[in-house]
Amino acid sequence: MWTLFTVACRNVLRNRRRTALTLAALVVGVGITVIVHGFVNGMKRGIVVQFVTAATGAVQVHHAGYVKNVLSTPLSLDVPADDAFLSRVSHVEGVTAVAPRLQFSGTMSVGDESLFFTALGLDPEREQAVCPRRALTRLPGSTFKEDADLLLAESLSSAVGLHPGTEAVLLAADRDGALNAEAAKMSGTLLALGPGEARFGQVSLAMAQRLLRMEGRATELAVSVKDLDRAPEVAGRLRAELGPEYEVHTWDEVAPVAKDAMERMGNLSSTVTTVFLVLMLLGVANTSLMTVLERTREIGTMMAVGVRRSWIAALFLAEAAVMGLLGAAGGALVGMAVVAHLGRKGLSFVPMGAKGVIPIEVHPAMPPGELALLVAVAVVGAALFSLYPAWRASRLRPVQALAGN
Amino acid sequence: MKSLALLLCLSLLPLAASAASPSPEELLRQYDAVMGPASFEAVMVMTAHREDGSTRTYRMKVMKSGTDRFRAWFQEPAASRGQEMLRVGDNSWVYMPNLKRALRIANRDSFQGGDFNNADVLRTNYTRDYEAKLLAEEEQAWVLELHAKTEDAAYDRIKLWLSKADGVPLKGEYYTVSGKLLRTAEFTEVRDFGGLRRPARVLMRNMIVTQRFSELTFDRFELRDALPNGRFVLDDLGR
Repeated sequence: MWTLFTVACRNVLRNRRRTALTLAALVVGVGITVIVHGFVNGMKRGIVVQFVTAATGAVQVHHAGYVKNVLSTPLSLDVPADDAFLSRVSHVEGVTAVAPRLQFSGTMSVGDESLFFTALGLDPEREQAVCPRRALTRLPGSTFKEDADLLLAESLSSAVGLHPGTEAVLLAADRDGALNAEAAKMSGTLLALGPGEARFGQVSLAMAQRLLRMEGRATELAVSVKDLDRAPEVAGRLRAELGPEYEVHTWDEVAPVAKDAMERMGNLSSTVTTVFLVLMLLGVANTSLMTVLERTREIGTMMAVGVRRSWIAALFLAEAAVMGLLGAAGGALVGMAVVAHLGRKGLSFVPMGAKGVIPIEVHPAMPPGELALLVAVAVVGAALFSLYPAWRASRLRPVQALAGN
Repeated sequence: MKSLALLLCLSLLPLAASAASPSPEELLRQYDAVMGPASFEAVMVMTAHREDGSTRTYRMKVMKSGTDRFRAWFQEPAASRGQEMLRVGDNSWVYMPNLKRALRIANRDSFQGGDFNNADVLRTNYTRDYEAKLLAEEEQAWVLELHAKTEDAAYDRIKLWLSKADGVPLKGEYYTVSGKLLRTAEFTEVRDFGGLRRPARVLMRNMIVTQRFSELTFDRFELRDALPNGRFVLDDLGR
């Protein structure tokens, strides 16, 4: 076995030019695969962090049945938002902060224009603790502190011709269906986290509670956690603490947009890397075959001195594997260097075809396990793609091979 | 020869039908005369029943003048007291006493969270809003199909059953453009209000959220010769 390996290594070193070319193909192939994977990993994490810290929070608490009925009459499925209940939630292990929210829809009137809109009532201070990056979703210059502050998506404010500093009246049906109105003042513009969020606005929780006649109530509690990866465990503890009257969801269950985006990214990266790996391995197979054809005499000599056919096949496979290992290691080094550099620096990425959407902060990353798997795939793949050349070498007839044809 | 006979029969068919039945326009005018006579004052009570079993009752004084002016004053519940509604032509407003301001409302938005929409209550003139077609004749009723002439109409399409005996509406079905059934109505408790026989109760069932329904009843209904125009202008709201 050891002999096989040392002979294979020596053979690899014999034809330096060919080895260099094959290695270059492997380094480029594996390198690009590592970079693409690293970028996609960073992208996925970026999307999650974006959604969790700027919109959803890691975990959300609703009245049982709220999420399923979110399109009909969600106001009657409300939760307490008083200090006692909030502190009960925030004392659950792993929870760092909790923010009550009130989601509603209504009409916004400016002058004699009226427009349907959906809005979220937020407590500015508590929200900051749960979603520290929410400021990212507001155009610079926006403020959200006062009771009457109103933030609107650009599509909404331009539709009614509303400018910061001007007044709008919000009209909505309260928890019991009776109309109520409150005056608000536009204080800034909201940016969309993803495509499809068009006519939405934000008001202070206090105003939303007055408008809907729901003082001390909310429709949603957003919860931030110590460790995002352990959000499901925290959700489990919250479920146990609050009982069946409430439902607890993790971010991926309430932001299907983010989850879909991640799945699409994952599929895309698998396709790209598969194509690259196959192209690269076909290159390896090609060189292997060339080597076999070129070294016919050598194979004949080995056979003439009594080397077994299986040993010859194994030799060629070993050569391919050694080459695969060297190339994959080189590619992994180059790829990791790029990934580590971009990971430190961070990239700002705007999803394709999305206008007025907040860029995602991407820190490419490659966990060691995934890297090892990629290298293993390259090595095994190189050997597999050399099966045919190796088999051909082992099938040569000694006399003809010695004659060189 | 056979086909000629068939042709003859077919060409005579519409003649036979028109001889027996009133024109759809006439039936629609009759509906308007019963449900939205030119000028009246009334006290209406709307009760909304919601899917969780809770109910909410609104009591309001209303006035209608001519074909396109309507005004309502909410008296109950406390949360709605002081609110008013006004319709002039295609425009409707709600007056909010806490802001002392009138806000425009959409015809097809829910009327105080119930299953009637604003146009159902404020805009009761079908002749103005719909094109009518006689769809069928049943033993007790004419079945009309109405198509909206304008986007401001309460619904895109309505099927209306009118009593053959006295032209009073019996039931209605209300559809979207695509033919989805939104609401069904039953008109019951026909009473004589000072010479006008009309249903005192309309039951509107929500066919999207089927546990929801709303009732609209008339406690008082008085025909008037004319009502002062000054009551149907924006400036009068809140006074």
